[in-house]
Amino acid sequence: MARKTRNGLTVVSISVAVFLLCFLIGIVQGLEASVRSASATRLVTQSAVSLFVSLPTSYQQKIDSVDGVYLSTKFRWFGAYYQERENFFAQFAVDPNRFLDMYTKDIEILEGPDGITGPEARVAVQKAFASDRRAAIIGTGLRDDERYGFRIGDTVPLIPLLYQRADGGAWDFVIVGYYQPLKERIPDTTMYFRADYLNEAFESGEAYGDIAAGVYYINTLDNAPVEQVAEEIDEMFANGPQRTQTITEAAFASFFISAMGNLPLFLGTIGGAVLFSIFFSVVNTMMISGRQRIQEAGILQALGFRPITSTLLLIYEGLLISLIGGGCGIVLAVTTEGLMIRMLGESIRNYHVTPDMVMLAVATSSILGIVAGLAAGLPFLRYRPTEALRSIG
Amino acid sequence: MTDAFIVLENVSKRYSRGGETLQVLDEFNLSIPESDFVALMGPSGSGKTTILNLVGGLDSCDSGVVTVAGAPVSAMSRRELPAWRSRHVGFVFQSFNLLPVLTAQENVMLPLQLTPLSGPERRQQAEFALDIVGLSDRATHRPTQLSGGEEQRVAIARAIATDPDVIIADEPTGDLDRKSADGVLEILARLNSELGKTILMVTHDPLAAKKARRLLELDKGVLVEDQLQEGA
Repeated sequence: MARKTRNGLTVVSISVAVFLLCFLIGIVQGLEASVRSASATRLVTQSAVSLFVSLPTSYQQKIDSVDGVYLSTKFRWFGAYYQERENFFAQFAVDPNRFLDMYTKDIEILEGPDGITGPEARVAVQKAFASDRRAAIIGTGLRDDERYGFRIGDTVPLIPLLYQRADGGAWDFVIVGYYQPLKERIPDTTMYFRADYLNEAFESGEAYGDIAAGVYYINTLDNAPVEQVAEEIDEMFANGPQRTQTITEAAFASFFISAMGNLPLFLGTIGGAVLFSIFFSVVNTMMISGRQRIQEAGILQALGFRPITSTLLLIYEGLLISLIGGGCGIVLAVTTEGLMIRMLGESIRNYHVTPDMVMLAVATSSILGIVAGLAAGLPFLRYRPTEALRSIG
Repeated sequence: MTDAFIVLENVSKRYSRGGETLQVLDEFNLSIPESDFVALMGPSGSGKTTILNLVGGLDSCDSGVVTVAGAPVSAMSRRELPAWRSRHVGFVFQSFNLLPVLTAQENVMLPLQLTPLSGPERRQQAEFALDIVGLSDRATHRPTQLSGGEEQRVAIARAIATDPDVIIADEPTGDLDRKSADGVLEILARLNSELGKTILMVTHDPLAAKKARRLLELDKGVLVEDQLQEGA
């Protein structure tokens, strides 16, 4: 009974350790996914002072004039919620036509107004943007989330956290299309709307805020020297009202991760320490199990088995327990993937348990089992049968 | 001595414990013919179990020669001894020493794993051994489901499963009540008389010793009495 309990608890320990291993790697990989899929030929121009300092709208024309620049769009964080503060999702003010042209390989317009789908959907959305300054497109996640359930044609009131309206009310947006991300770094729960809707409201006094662009996203021409283009942009505004810092989109994505304080290293250190502790406790448990079975080893030796037989049996047992525990941990990690994605939310939306992680978990479990079995079973080789038989475990 | 089956010739054995050296046997000699049933008696520390261990190849002597069925046991290496034990010696321990996770039949089949027998043959052999000790109907029971006497009978079945030349029994009735002890001794006596097994048994129980054909009494590693018993 005691042995069953001990083995059961060991299996549970290993399950937790392997689940933790998958979970932490999933988080780290999820964080890094945004960097991996970010474009190295797309630039982001932000204020050299801080990301939270907006750039003037007048910069756009100058940026467009730089050799090697193909297209630029404003990209401004809006920051509002739907009905309740908990119902918060990202919204960006952009130049819609430029934005759609810039992201042809990154997002697909699934549907536009009047149920138009397929290649025509993009054109229909562009027309809708042109005809209504409140027009906005949303990711399929906002359509499918029960909290929102936004549909094309809906007027969505968003309550501002940053840019208050003079009447104290909400900003209205009209949904004109759904997009679906084609790259994993792009969330499907974002809303993009016209930047001039915001700026015109500020200009007319309908709302409070400065007429600005936020940051600029810039597509460079094919084969353009990206670093040189970035340098030229920054040099151009070196004496301007706002100095700029232009970096690649990939570097910009890295910046966000590093802004969290090197989370991968932090998670890796803490997780590694926890895993190390659990693994040591498993090895210790196996060693206790081994000590309690010295007499059994003596019996086997008396019957004619060589000492190595008992050692191999313990390695086999350790391997079996570890693989069962590891298997349970993998099953737990795979079956809770959806739950974890919901719990982690937008912060780490690319959390996935990949086949590579499963292989790593199997390998780790196997190594743990063999090491634990060896640690427990190697002492058997020292014992003479008489010594082993005298052992009371 | 040439026709003796078990021979101990000038055997010495010392143990070191806590920095002290204990001379258990010193130039000890013993000769036991084939198919004999010998009981070894004597106070604790007299060397009874040491003799069993040396004959069974579980321990090695410091000097002298131990021969069993012509095999020079004392000259065998630690690598050679397990294989020899598996073919020639069956052990019965005081505390039964059955593996608790295995059934009675599986325990009996355990030493047969080292033989070239096939699975069904091993099973058949184990059934035969259990039948000899009268436990055919308990084959699927685990040790925890058996009485002490039954456990020891399973241990005897395991000891004879490989048809060894010698059965070494270290206080086989030490943990049993009188009735169970008598049953176990009866089986050992039958194995000796009907199957011709050479049995070397250590006991503190005079009634158990009476079942043997020959009684040896030891004191401080010296044979103080060697008598043949009538009616055993």
